Amino acid sequence: MRQPLPSPVKVETPPGWKPSDLHDPFEAYVGPLFEREENGERIFGFIADERHVDETGIVHEGMLMTFADAFLGGAAHRGAGERSCVTLSLQASFLTEARAGDFIECRTRIDRTTRAIIFVSGRFSVGDEDVMTATSLWKVLGER
Amino acid sequence: MSSRQVDTSGFGAYAGPVLCNDQGAFTFEIADHHLNGADRLHGGMMMTLAAIVLGAVAKETATEKTPGATVRPLSLNCDFVSAGEKGDTVEGRAEVTRATRTVLFISGELRAGTRMLMTATGVYAIGGAEKA
Repeated sequence: MRQPLPSPVKVETPPGWKPSDLHDPFEAYVGPLFEREENGERIFGFIADERHVDETGIVHEGMLMTFADAFLGGAAHRGAGERSCVTLSLQASFLTEARAGDFIECRTRIDRTTRAIIFVSGRFSVGDEDVMTATSLWKVLGER
Repeated sequence: MSSRQVDTSGFGAYAGPVLCNDQGAFTFEIADHHLNGADRLHGGMMMTLAAIVLGAVAKETATEKTPGATVRPLSLNCDFVSAGEKGDTVEGRAEVTRATRTVLFISGELRAGTRMLMTATGVYAIGGAEKA
């Protein structure tokens, strides 16, 4: 496995979390991103900073969807038995706004697995409040 | 033809720059830090571009009607039609499908030359629009 890519800013790892190994340059560029395990479930997170917000101080939907693409894609990859997957479609609903300083967590769920297609959804929250939900479709490369 | 940068601060500027000309066409150059592990345009960056293009058209539509109006995305759906390659110039366009008093339906696409990369639809809430 290649070395994980470094992120351009230093962010202290929250207690109980570890930095995710990022191999996609764009994910490293917006990172660091973090993960932890809870009862066998993998949970992902990032701390929103000034890079991630829009001109009004709200976390940009592009950043939220990049975070979604990274970890819903990771879930699809594991759901496909570690085979490569590409995004076919991703829909996001923006329930409420997140701001710089918020710690945004992502929980993923495999909704269905076929030979060639993986259906993955995700819930994104700050504390007890959901900020975004996403559903996505992934193609398992080489399968039909 | 003159071009201006769409977002000059925040994530749009950090991930961009995305330029817009006076014909309403958006352009973006794929650089090394926009790629995924397979050296293609990262899906998150592609959706960020769609969000910037659709959001800019939504904002322009809302402020044309009511100066000072703001827009907030409610939903964004992105379909990944084909991959963007390093060195590609991505062109984006979007249009208003329907505008109600409170909600905008926007539809757009990203292309590299004649190749379609992404189709996207978004629903936006109009805010901050005091009744005239």
